[in-house]
Amino acid sequence: MPERRPDRALGPGHNDFWQWCAASELRLQRCATCGELSWPVVATCEFCGSTDLAWEHMSGRGRVIAWTTFERDYYAGTLPIPWDTILVELAEGPLFLSNPKGFSWPDITIGMPVQVAFVDCEDSAGPFRLPVFERGQEAQGGD
Amino acid sequence: MPQAIMPPPSPGLSRKAAIVGIGETDYHTDYQAARSRAPGYEAPSVESLSLAAFERALADSGLSRADIDGLSVSFTFGGPPPMEMAALLEIEPGFAIANGNIMAGPLPVVCAAIAEGKARTVAMIFAVASRSIGKQFGGASDAMAEGMPASYYYFHPWGWSSQAAHWALMFSHYQATYNVREEDLAAVAMQVRRHASATPQAVMQTPMTSTDYMASRYIVRPLHLFDICLVNDGAVCLIVTTPERARDLPHAPVEVAGWGEAKIRNRKLDTMVRQRLRPQMQEAGGQALDMAGVALADIQLFEGYDASTIHLINQIEGFGFVEPGAGIDFCKDGGMAVDGRLPTNTGGGNLSGSYMQGWSQVANVVRQLRHEAGAQQVADARLAMTSLVQTDQAHPLIFARGEN
Ligand SMILES: [Zn+2]
Repeated sequence: MPERRPDRALGPGHNDFWQWCAASELRLQRCATCGELSWPVVATCEFCGSTDLAWEHMSGRGRVIAWTTFERDYYAGTLPIPWDTILVELAEGPLFLSNPKGFSWPDITIGMPVQVAFVDCEDSAGPFRLPVFERGQEAQGGD
Repeated sequence: MPQAIMPPPSPGLSRKAAIVGIGETDYHTDYQAARSRAPGYEAPSVESLSLAAFERALADSGLSRADIDGLSVSFTFGGPPPMEMAALLEIEPGFAIANGNIMAGPLPVVCAAIAEGKARTVAMIFAVASRSIGKQFGGASDAMAEGMPASYYYFHPWGWSSQAAHWALMFSHYQATYNVREEDLAAVAMQVRRHASATPQAVMQTPMTSTDYMASRYIVRPLHLFDICLVNDGAVCLIVTTPERARDLPHAPVEVAGWGEAKIRNRKLDTMVRQRLRPQMQEAGGQALDMAGVALADIQLFEGYDASTIHLINQIEGFGFVEPGAGIDFCKDGGMAVDGRLPTNTGGGNLSGSYMQGWSQVANVVRQLRHEAGAQQVADARLAMTSLVQTDQAHPLIFARGEN
Protein backbone atom coordinates (compact mmCIF):
# COMPACT_ATOMS: atom_id res chain seq x y z
CA MET A 1 0.00 0.00 0.00
CA PRO A 2 1.52 3.35 -0.99
CA GLU A 3 1.47 6.03 1.69
CA ARG A 4 -0.97 8.86 1.05
CA ARG A 5 0.81 12.24 0.99
CA PRO A 6 -0.16 15.87 0.42
CA ASP A 7 0.24 17.00 -3.18
CA ARG A 8 3.58 17.62 -4.83
CA ALA A 9 4.39 20.74 -6.84
CA LEU A 10 4.35 19.47 -10.43
CA GLY A 11 5.15 20.96 -13.81
CA PRO A 12 8.18 21.43 -16.06
CA GLY A 13 11.35 20.61 -14.14
CA HIS A 14 9.47 19.32 -11.09
CA ASN A 15 8.28 16.32 -13.12
CA ASP A 16 11.90 15.50 -13.98
CA PHE A 17 12.84 15.41 -10.32
CA TRP A 18 10.04 12.93 -9.55
CA GLN A 19 10.91 10.79 -12.57
CA TRP A 20 14.43 10.36 -11.19
CA CYS A 21 12.96 9.51 -7.80
CA ALA A 22 10.84 6.82 -9.48
CA ALA A 23 14.15 5.27 -10.55
CA SER A 24 15.39 5.56 -6.91
CA GLU A 25 17.81 8.32 -7.80
CA LEU A 26 18.04 11.60 -5.92
CA ARG A 27 19.08 14.14 -8.53
CA LEU A 28 19.36 17.91 -8.17
CA GLN A 29 20.03 20.58 -10.79
CA ARG A 30 23.69 21.59 -11.17
CA CYS A 31 24.40 24.82 -13.06
CA ALA A 32 26.97 24.43 -15.83
CA THR A 33 27.69 28.17 -15.73
CA CYS A 34 28.45 28.78 -12.03
CA GLY A 35 28.65 25.21 -10.72
CA GLU A 36 26.07 25.63 -7.92
CA LEU A 37 23.29 23.19 -7.03
CA SER A 38 19.75 24.60 -6.77
CA TRP A 39 16.94 23.11 -4.67
CA PRO A 40 13.90 23.16 -4.75
CA VAL A 41 13.60 22.74 -8.53
CA VAL A 42 14.16 25.95 -10.50
CA ALA A 43 13.63 27.10 -14.07
CA THR A 44 16.84 29.14 -13.91
CA CYS A 45 19.86 28.80 -11.58
CA GLU A 46 19.03 30.48 -8.26
CA PHE A 47 22.60 31.78 -8.09
CA CYS A 48 23.33 33.15 -11.58
CA GLY A 49 20.11 32.84 -13.57
CA SER A 50 21.56 30.46 -16.14
CA THR A 51 19.24 27.97 -17.85
CA ASP A 52 22.14 25.57 -18.44
CA LEU A 53 21.16 23.05 -15.75
CA ALA A 54 21.86 19.33 -15.61
CA TRP A 55 20.36 16.69 -13.28
CA GLU A 56 23.22 15.41 -11.13
CA HIS A 57 23.01 12.20 -9.15
CA MET A 58 23.49 12.84 -5.41
CA SER A 59 25.31 10.33 -3.22
CA GLY A 60 22.29 10.24 -0.90
CA ARG A 61 24.56 10.67 2.11
CA GLY A 62 23.99 13.49 4.54
CA ARG A 63 23.57 14.53 8.14
CA VAL A 64 20.69 16.01 10.11
CA ILE A 65 21.14 19.72 10.86
CA ALA A 66 17.64 20.54 12.17
CA TRP A 67 14.30 18.86 12.81
CA THR A 68 10.72 19.67 13.69
CA THR A 69 7.88 17.42 14.75
CA PHE A 70 4.33 18.51 13.98
CA GLU A 71 1.93 18.09 16.88
CA ARG A 72 -0.79 19.96 15.02
CA ASP A 73 -2.53 18.47 11.99
CA TYR A 74 -2.06 20.84 9.07
CA TYR A 75 -3.22 18.27 6.50
CA ALA A 76 -6.76 17.36 7.53
CA GLY A 77 -5.92 13.85 8.68
CA THR A 78 -3.81 12.83 5.66
CA LEU A 79 -0.77 12.35 7.92
CA PRO A 80 -0.61 10.96 11.46
CA ILE A 81 0.31 13.26 14.34
CA PRO A 82 3.00 13.54 15.69
CA TRP A 83 4.74 13.87 12.33
CA ASP A 84 8.54 14.01 12.15
CA THR A 85 10.51 16.08 9.67
CA ILE A 86 14.26 16.54 9.36
CA LEU A 87 16.50 18.96 7.51
CA VAL A 88 19.39 17.06 5.94
CA GLU A 89 22.62 18.60 4.71
CA LEU A 90 23.49 16.50 1.68
CA ALA A 91 27.14 15.53 1.26
CA GLU A 92 27.09 17.68 -1.89
CA GLY A 93 26.00 20.76 0.12
CA PRO A 94 22.30 21.59 -0.36
CA LEU A 95 19.86 21.30 2.54
CA PHE A 96 17.03 18.84 1.87
CA LEU A 97 13.80 18.86 3.89
CA SER A 98 12.56 15.30 4.38
CA ASN A 99 11.30 12.65 6.81
CA PRO A 100 13.17 10.11 8.94
CA LYS A 101 12.55 6.43 8.12
CA GLY A 102 13.14 3.83 10.80
CA PHE A 103 13.71 6.36 13.56
CA SER A 104 11.68 9.14 15.10
CA TRP A 105 11.66 11.89 17.69
CA PRO A 106 13.24 11.90 20.31
CA ASP A 107 15.93 9.79 18.65
CA ILE A 108 16.63 12.47 16.07
CA THR A 109 19.90 14.21 16.92
CA ILE A 110 21.66 17.08 15.22
CA GLY A 111 24.67 15.82 13.28
CA MET A 112 23.48 12.21 12.90
CA PRO A 113 24.46 10.63 9.57
CA VAL A 114 21.63 9.60 7.25
CA GLN A 115 21.23 7.91 3.89
CA VAL A 116 18.49 8.41 1.32
CA ALA A 117 15.80 5.77 0.79
CA PHE A 118 12.70 5.82 -1.38
CA VAL A 119 9.19 4.96 -0.22
CA ASP A 120 6.12 4.29 -2.35
CA CYS A 121 3.60 7.10 -2.01
CA GLU A 122 0.63 8.55 -3.81
CA ASP A 123 -1.03 11.94 -4.04
CA SER A 124 -3.91 13.26 -6.12
CA ALA A 125 -1.69 13.11 -9.23
CA GLY A 126 -0.98 9.40 -8.72
CA PRO A 127 1.75 7.13 -7.37
CA PHE A 128 5.29 8.39 -6.87
CA ARG A 129 8.44 7.54 -4.92
CA LEU A 130 9.44 9.90 -2.15
CA PRO A 131 13.04 10.41 -0.97
CA VAL A 132 13.32 10.03 2.82
CA PHE A 133 16.30 9.27 5.05
CA GLU A 134 17.39 6.26 7.11
CA ARG A 135 20.15 6.14 9.65
CA GLY A 136 23.48 6.20 7.82
CA GLN A 137 27.03 5.18 8.59
CA GLU A 138 29.47 7.49 10.32
CA ALA A 139 31.75 8.92 7.65
CA GLN A 140 35.01 6.97 7.46
CA GLY A 141 38.21 8.96 7.74
CA GLY A 142 36.53 12.34 7.49
CA ASP A 143 35.07 14.04 4.46
CA MET B 1 -3.90 45.25 -8.87
CA PRO B 2 -0.41 46.77 -9.33
CA GLN B 3 1.39 47.34 -6.06
CA ALA B 4 3.61 50.28 -5.22
CA ILE B 5 7.34 49.58 -5.22
CA MET B 6 9.38 50.50 -2.16
CA PRO B 7 11.80 53.38 -2.79
CA PRO B 8 15.45 52.54 -2.08
CA PRO B 9 16.78 53.95 1.19
CA SER B 10 18.28 57.40 0.69
CA PRO B 11 19.35 60.10 3.16
CA GLY B 12 17.42 62.57 0.99
CA LEU B 13 14.18 60.89 2.04
CA SER B 14 15.02 60.78 5.75
CA ARG B 15 12.66 62.71 8.04
CA LYS B 16 10.61 63.95 5.07
CA ALA B 17 7.39 62.62 6.59
CA ALA B 18 6.03 62.17 10.10
CA ILE B 19 3.32 60.08 11.71
CA VAL B 20 0.85 62.40 13.41
CA GLY B 21 -2.10 60.12 14.05
CA ILE B 22 -2.56 56.50 15.07
CA GLY B 23 -5.69 54.42 15.40
CA GLU B 24 -6.09 50.76 16.25
CA THR B 25 -9.10 48.54 16.72
CA ASP B 26 -9.94 46.97 20.09
CA TYR B 27 -7.76 43.89 19.78
CA HIS B 28 -8.54 42.57 23.22
CA THR B 29 -12.31 42.93 23.24
CA ASP B 30 -12.64 41.93 19.58
CA TYR B 31 -10.66 38.76 20.25
CA GLN B 32 -12.77 37.93 23.28
CA ALA B 33 -15.94 38.44 21.25
CA ALA B 34 -14.66 36.25 18.43
CA ARG B 35 -13.74 33.51 20.90
CA SER B 36 -17.02 33.51 22.80
CA ARG B 37 -19.23 33.63 19.69
CA ALA B 38 -22.18 34.94 21.63
CA PRO B 39 -25.59 34.68 19.93
CA GLY B 40 -25.83 37.31 17.24
CA TYR B 41 -22.07 37.71 17.01
CA GLU B 42 -20.93 38.84 13.61
CA ALA B 43 -17.26 38.61 12.68
CA PRO B 44 -15.86 42.02 11.75
CA SER B 45 -15.22 42.81 8.11
CA VAL B 46 -12.16 44.46 6.64
CA GLU B 47 -14.36 47.50 5.99
CA SER B 48 -15.69 47.85 9.53
CA LEU B 49 -12.23 47.38 11.04
CA SER B 50 -10.67 49.91 8.65
CA LEU B 51 -13.32 52.53 9.37
CA ALA B 52 -12.91 52.13 13.13
CA ALA B 53 -9.11 52.51 12.96
CA PHE B 54 -9.40 55.49 10.61
CA GLU B 55 -11.86 57.37 12.82
CA ARG B 56 -9.51 56.95 15.79
CA ALA B 57 -6.40 57.98 13.88
CA LEU B 58 -8.12 61.03 12.46
CA ALA B 59 -9.32 62.12 15.90
CA ASP B 60 -5.86 61.45 17.34
CA SER B 61 -4.20 63.60 14.67
CA GLY B 62 -6.44 66.60 15.26
CA LEU B 63 -7.06 66.81 11.51
CA SER B 64 -10.36 66.72 9.63
CA ARG B 65 -11.42 64.57 6.69
CA ALA B 66 -10.83 67.50 4.32
CA ASP B 67 -7.15 67.50 5.30
CA ILE B 68 -6.64 63.93 4.05
CA ASP B 69 -5.54 64.11 0.41
CA GLY B 70 -3.90 60.71 0.20
CA LEU B 71 -4.96 57.13 0.94
CA SER B 72 -2.90 53.94 1.08
CA VAL B 73 -4.56 50.57 1.66
CA SER B 74 -2.80 47.35 2.72
CA PHE B 75 -4.58 44.06 3.41
CA THR B 76 -3.41 40.60 4.35
CA PHE B 77 -6.29 38.72 2.74
CA GLY B 78 -7.60 41.30 0.34
CA GLY B 79 -9.98 44.21 0.73
CA PRO B 80 -11.67 46.93 -1.28
CA PRO B 81 -9.70 48.89 -3.89
CA PRO B 82 -8.44 52.31 -2.75
CA MET B 83 -11.23 54.46 -4.16
CA GLU B 84 -13.93 52.21 -2.71
CA MET B 85 -12.20 52.49 0.64
CA ALA B 86 -12.06 56.28 0.17
CA ALA B 87 -15.82 56.37 -0.34
CA LEU B 88 -16.33 54.22 2.75
CA LEU B 89 -14.14 56.56 4.81
CA GLU B 90 -15.88 59.60 3.26
CA ILE B 91 -12.69 61.19 2.04
CA GLU B 92 -11.72 62.44 -1.42
CA PRO B 93 -8.00 61.75 -1.85
CA GLY B 94 -6.25 62.85 -5.04
CA PHE B 95 -3.64 60.17 -4.35
CA ALA B 96 -4.86 56.66 -3.57
CA ILE B 97 -2.85 53.44 -3.80
CA ALA B 98 -2.96 49.74 -3.02
CA ASN B 99 0.23 49.38 -1.05
CA GLY B 100 1.39 45.86 -0.21
CA ASN B 101 0.43 44.34 3.10
CA ILE B 102 3.10 43.73 5.76
CA MET B 103 4.74 46.73 7.46
CA ALA B 104 7.73 46.72 5.19
CA GLY B 105 7.40 48.74 2.00
CA PRO B 106 4.13 50.63 2.58
CA LEU B 107 5.50 53.33 4.89
CA PRO B 108 8.56 54.15 2.73
CA VAL B 109 6.27 54.34 -0.31
CA VAL B 110 4.08 56.91 1.43
CA CYS B 111 7.07 58.88 2.75
CA ALA B 112 8.44 59.14 -0.79
CA ALA B 113 5.03 60.19 -2.15
CA ILE B 114 4.83 62.97 0.44
CA ALA B 115 8.44 64.06 -0.26
CA GLU B 116 7.60 64.21 -3.97
CA GLY B 117 4.49 66.28 -3.31
CA LYS B 118 2.04 63.67 -4.58
CA ALA B 119 0.08 64.13 -1.38
CA ARG B 120 0.43 66.18 1.75
CA THR B 121 -1.42 64.11 4.34
CA VAL B 122 -1.96 60.40 3.79
CA ALA B 123 -4.16 57.99 5.71
CA MET B 124 -2.53 54.55 5.70
CA ILE B 125 -4.89 51.68 6.41
CA PHE B 126 -3.94 48.12 7.24
CA ALA B 127 -6.61 45.52 7.98
CA VAL B 128 -6.78 41.78 8.46
CA ALA B 129 -9.84 39.63 9.06
CA SER B 130 -8.04 36.28 9.15
CA ARG B 131 -10.02 34.67 11.92
CA SER B 132 -13.35 35.48 10.36
CA ILE B 133 -12.50 33.75 7.10
CA GLY B 134 -11.15 30.72 8.96
CA LYS B 135 -7.71 31.07 7.48
CA GLN B 136 -5.15 28.53 8.69
CA PHE B 137 -1.52 29.47 8.26
CA GLY B 138 -0.31 26.12 6.97
CA GLY B 139 -1.38 22.98 5.19
CA ALA B 140 -2.21 22.45 1.57
CA SER B 141 -4.98 25.05 1.25
CA ASP B 142 -2.55 27.83 0.37
CA ALA B 143 -0.48 25.69 -2.01
CA MET B 144 1.36 27.74 -4.55
CA ALA B 145 -0.60 30.86 -3.75
CA GLU B 146 0.76 33.62 -5.91
CA GLY B 147 3.90 35.20 -4.51
CA MET B 148 4.20 32.64 -1.72
CA PRO B 149 7.83 31.65 -1.09
CA ALA B 150 8.52 28.08 -2.25
CA SER B 151 9.25 26.96 1.31
CA TYR B 152 5.56 27.53 2.14
CA TYR B 153 4.31 24.87 -0.27
CA TYR B 154 7.14 22.88 -1.80
CA PHE B 155 7.62 20.46 1.05
CA HIS B 156 3.97 19.34 1.33
CA PRO B 157 4.81 15.77 0.21
CA TRP B 158 7.02 15.51 3.29
CA GLY B 159 4.25 16.92 5.49
CA TRP B 160 6.12 20.15 6.21
CA SER B 161 4.46 23.56 6.04
CA SER B 162 3.47 26.69 7.98
CA GLN B 163 5.44 29.72 9.05
CA ALA B 164 5.79 28.27 12.55
CA ALA B 165 7.66 25.26 11.13
CA HIS B 166 10.34 27.63 9.81
CA TRP B 167 10.99 28.93 13.31
CA ALA B 168 10.91 25.40 14.75
CA LEU B 169 13.68 24.33 12.37
CA MET B 170 15.61 27.44 13.27
CA PHE B 171 15.27 26.73 16.99
CA SER B 172 16.22 23.04 16.85
CA HIS B 173 19.44 24.05 15.10
CA TYR B 174 19.98 26.98 17.49
CA GLN B 175 19.55 24.65 20.48
CA ALA B 176 22.30 22.37 19.26
CA THR B 177 24.57 25.27 18.31
CA TYR B 178 24.34 27.16 21.61
CA ASN B 179 23.36 24.35 23.98
CA VAL B 180 19.98 25.91 24.76
CA ARG B 181 17.21 24.06 26.57
CA GLU B 182 13.61 24.19 25.46
CA GLU B 183 12.56 25.87 28.71
CA ASP B 184 15.07 28.68 28.13
CA LEU B 185 12.68 30.17 25.57
CA ALA B 186 10.06 30.59 28.30
CA ALA B 187 11.89 33.75 29.38
CA VAL B 188 11.07 35.38 26.04
CA ALA B 189 7.40 34.44 26.06
CA MET B 190 7.11 35.62 29.68
CA GLN B 191 8.86 38.95 29.01
CA VAL B 192 6.58 39.78 26.11
CA ARG B 193 3.55 38.70 28.16
CA ARG B 194 4.62 41.01 31.01
CA HIS B 195 4.55 43.85 28.48
CA ALA B 196 1.14 42.78 27.23
CA SER B 197 -0.20 42.59 30.77
CA ALA B 198 0.51 46.32 31.11
CA THR B 199 -1.06 47.14 27.73
CA PRO B 200 -4.86 47.59 27.82
CA GLN B 201 -5.56 46.63 24.18
CA ALA B 202 -3.31 43.55 24.18
CA VAL B 203 -5.11 40.30 23.36
CA MET B 204 -3.35 38.17 26.01
CA GLN B 205 -2.94 39.85 29.39
CA THR B 206 -3.00 36.96 31.86
CA PRO B 207 0.41 36.67 33.53
CA MET B 208 2.46 33.68 32.36
CA THR B 209 4.80 31.55 34.47
CA SER B 210 7.46 29.17 33.22
CA THR B 211 5.19 26.34 34.35
CA ASP B 212 2.40 27.73 32.16
CA TYR B 213 4.83 27.92 29.30
CA MET B 214 6.04 24.34 29.62
CA ALA B 215 2.46 23.13 30.02
CA SER B 216 1.31 24.81 26.82
CA ARG B 217 0.83 22.27 24.06
CA TYR B 218 3.33 21.80 21.29
CA ILE B 219 2.45 23.09 17.84
CA VAL B 220 5.65 22.18 16.03
CA ARG B 221 8.28 20.71 18.36
CA PRO B 222 10.43 22.09 19.78
CA LEU B 223 8.05 25.11 19.83
CA HIS B 224 5.05 25.40 22.13
CA LEU B 225 1.83 27.28 21.55
CA PHE B 226 3.26 30.14 23.63
CA ASP B 227 6.22 30.43 21.27
CA ILE B 228 3.96 31.25 18.34
CA CYS B 229 2.26 34.55 17.49
CA LEU B 230 -1.44 35.18 17.80
CA VAL B 231 -3.92 35.16 14.96
CA ASN B 232 -6.47 37.92 15.39
CA ASP B 233 -8.54 40.41 13.48
CA GLY B 234 -7.88 44.09 13.47
CA ALA B 235 -6.86 47.24 11.70
CA VAL B 236 -4.27 49.96 12.13
CA CYS B 237 -4.43 53.45 10.66
CA LEU B 238 -1.48 55.82 10.50
CA ILE B 239 -1.87 59.46 9.45
CA VAL B 240 1.34 60.65 7.81
CA THR B 241 2.14 64.20 6.75
CA THR B 242 4.97 66.62 6.11
CA PRO B 243 7.20 67.69 9.02
CA GLU B 244 6.03 71.27 8.46
CA ARG B 245 2.35 70.39 8.77
CA ALA B 246 3.16 68.13 11.74
CA ARG B 247 4.48 71.08 13.76
CA ASP B 248 0.99 72.57 14.11
CA LEU B 249 -0.62 69.39 15.39
CA PRO B 250 -1.31 68.28 18.97
CA HIS B 251 1.18 65.42 19.38
CA ALA B 252 4.95 65.30 19.04
CA PRO B 253 5.49 64.14 15.45
CA VAL B 254 7.24 60.84 14.88
CA GLU B 255 9.50 61.17 11.86
CA VAL B 256 10.36 58.28 9.57
CA ALA B 257 14.14 58.50 9.60
CA GLY B 258 15.34 55.41 7.79
CA TRP B 259 14.51 52.12 6.17
CA GLY B 260 16.22 49.17 4.59
CA GLU B 261 15.46 46.00 2.70
CA ALA B 262 17.34 42.78 2.02
CA LYS B 263 16.04 39.49 0.69
CA ILE B 264 17.34 35.95 0.58
CA ARG B 265 18.21 35.24 -3.06
CA ASN B 266 19.32 31.62 -2.82
CA ARG B 267 20.01 28.80 -0.33
CA LYS B 268 16.89 29.84 1.55
CA LEU B 269 16.82 27.07 4.14
CA ASP B 270 20.52 27.39 4.87
CA THR B 271 20.26 31.17 5.17
CA MET B 272 17.24 30.87 7.42
CA VAL B 273 18.22 27.92 9.61
CA ARG B 274 21.98 28.16 9.90
CA GLN B 275 22.68 31.84 9.22
CA ARG B 276 19.34 32.86 10.73
CA LEU B 277 19.00 35.75 8.23
CA ARG B 278 21.89 37.58 9.84
CA PRO B 279 23.35 38.62 6.46
CA GLN B 280 19.99 40.16 5.48
CA MET B 281 19.56 41.94 8.83
CA GLN B 282 23.10 43.29 8.73
CA GLU B 283 22.62 44.58 5.18
CA ALA B 284 19.16 46.08 5.67
CA GLY B 285 19.98 47.39 9.15
CA GLY B 286 23.05 49.13 7.79
CA GLN B 287 20.97 50.75 5.07
CA ALA B 288 18.41 52.05 7.56
CA LEU B 289 21.01 53.37 10.01
CA ASP B 290 22.97 55.08 7.21
CA MET B 291 19.82 56.67 5.85
CA ALA B 292 18.86 57.95 9.30
CA GLY B 293 22.43 59.07 10.06
CA VAL B 294 22.47 57.26 13.40
CA ALA B 295 24.37 54.35 14.95
CA LEU B 296 22.91 51.09 16.22
CA ALA B 297 23.96 52.06 19.75
CA ASP B 298 21.70 55.13 19.47
CA ILE B 299 18.56 52.98 19.18
CA GLN B 300 16.68 53.20 22.49
CA LEU B 301 13.88 50.72 21.89
CA PHE B 302 13.17 47.91 19.50
CA GLU B 303 9.94 46.49 18.11
CA GLY B 304 10.66 43.19 16.39
CA TYR B 305 8.46 40.86 14.38
CA ASP B 306 7.86 38.24 17.04
CA ALA B 307 6.19 35.64 14.86
CA SER B 308 7.88 33.35 17.35
CA THR B 309 9.93 33.74 20.52
CA ILE B 310 13.09 32.43 18.91
CA HIS B 311 12.68 34.76 15.96
CA LEU B 312 12.49 37.80 18.24
CA ILE B 313 15.76 36.71 19.84
CA ASN B 314 17.07 36.12 16.35
CA GLN B 315 16.39 39.74 15.37
CA ILE B 316 18.07 41.16 18.45
CA GLU B 317 21.11 39.08 17.56
CA GLY B 318 20.91 39.55 13.79
CA PHE B 319 20.87 43.36 13.81
CA GLY B 320 23.80 43.28 16.22
CA PHE B 321 22.24 44.50 19.48
CA VAL B 322 23.82 41.42 21.11
CA GLU B 323 26.22 38.73 19.90
CA PRO B 324 24.88 35.61 18.15
CA GLY B 325 23.82 33.11 20.80
CA ALA B 326 23.57 35.75 23.55
CA GLY B 327 19.95 36.81 22.99
CA ILE B 328 18.16 34.48 25.40
CA ASP B 329 20.49 35.32 28.27
CA PHE B 330 20.06 39.01 27.41
CA CYS B 331 16.31 38.53 27.81
CA LYS B 332 16.67 36.54 31.05
CA ASP B 333 18.82 39.34 32.47
CA GLY B 334 16.08 41.90 31.82
CA GLY B 335 17.64 43.44 28.72
CA MET B 336 14.27 43.54 26.93
CA ALA B 337 12.32 45.04 29.85
CA VAL B 338 11.08 48.64 29.83
CA ASP B 339 14.07 49.65 31.96
CA GLY B 340 16.49 47.28 30.20
CA ARG B 341 19.28 48.07 27.78
CA LEU B 342 16.99 47.50 24.80
CA PRO B 343 13.29 47.65 25.71
CA THR B 344 11.68 45.28 23.20
CA ASN B 345 8.07 44.86 22.07
CA THR B 346 6.81 46.92 24.98
CA GLY B 347 3.20 46.68 23.75
CA GLY B 348 3.13 42.89 23.86
CA GLY B 349 4.28 42.27 20.29
CA ASN B 350 2.71 39.65 18.07
CA LEU B 351 3.04 36.95 20.72
CA SER B 352 0.70 38.51 23.26
CA GLY B 353 -0.42 41.89 21.90
CA SER B 354 -1.82 41.64 18.40
CA TYR B 355 -0.77 40.17 15.06
CA MET B 356 -1.03 43.06 12.67
CA GLN B 357 1.89 42.09 10.40
CA GLY B 358 4.21 44.64 11.99
CA TRP B 359 1.77 47.60 11.93
CA SER B 360 0.92 47.52 15.63
CA GLN B 361 4.65 47.68 16.39
CA VAL B 362 4.77 50.99 14.54
CA ALA B 363 1.77 52.30 16.48
CA ASN B 364 3.52 51.31 19.69
CA VAL B 365 6.69 53.13 18.66
CA VAL B 366 4.61 56.25 18.01
CA ARG B 367 3.20 56.09 21.56
CA GLN B 368 6.70 55.60 22.96
CA LEU B 369 8.29 58.46 21.03
CA ARG B 370 5.41 60.77 21.92
CA HIS B 371 5.99 59.79 25.57
CA GLU B 372 2.41 58.57 25.84
CA ALA B 373 3.12 54.92 26.65
CA GLY B 374 2.00 55.16 30.27
CA ALA B 375 3.37 52.43 32.53
CA GLN B 376 5.32 51.05 29.59
CA GLN B 377 7.07 54.33 28.81
CA VAL B 378 10.77 54.05 27.99
CA ALA B 379 12.51 57.02 29.64
CA ASP B 380 13.30 59.89 27.24
CA ALA B 381 12.66 57.74 24.15
CA ARG B 382 13.74 59.63 21.04
CA LEU B 383 14.95 56.97 18.58
CA ALA B 384 13.41 53.57 17.85
CA MET B 385 13.71 50.71 15.39
CA THR B 386 11.01 48.38 14.15
CA SER B 387 11.80 45.27 12.21
CA LEU B 388 9.71 43.12 9.93
CA VAL B 389 11.85 40.07 9.25
CA GLN B 390 9.98 37.29 7.52
CA THR B 391 11.38 33.91 6.54
CA ASP B 392 13.12 35.38 3.52
CA GLN B 393 13.48 39.14 3.94
CA ALA B 394 14.44 41.85 6.41
CA HIS B 395 12.77 45.26 6.62
CA PRO B 396 13.93 47.54 9.45
CA LEU B 397 12.47 51.03 9.94
CA ILE B 398 13.93 53.79 12.11
CA PHE B 399 11.78 56.45 13.79
CA ALA B 400 12.80 59.67 15.52
CA ARG B 401 10.88 61.97 17.81
CA GLY B 402 10.44 65.31 16.06
CA GLU B 403 9.64 68.70 17.55
CA ASN B 404 6.46 70.70 17.43
ZN1 LIG C 1 24.46 29.27 -11.89
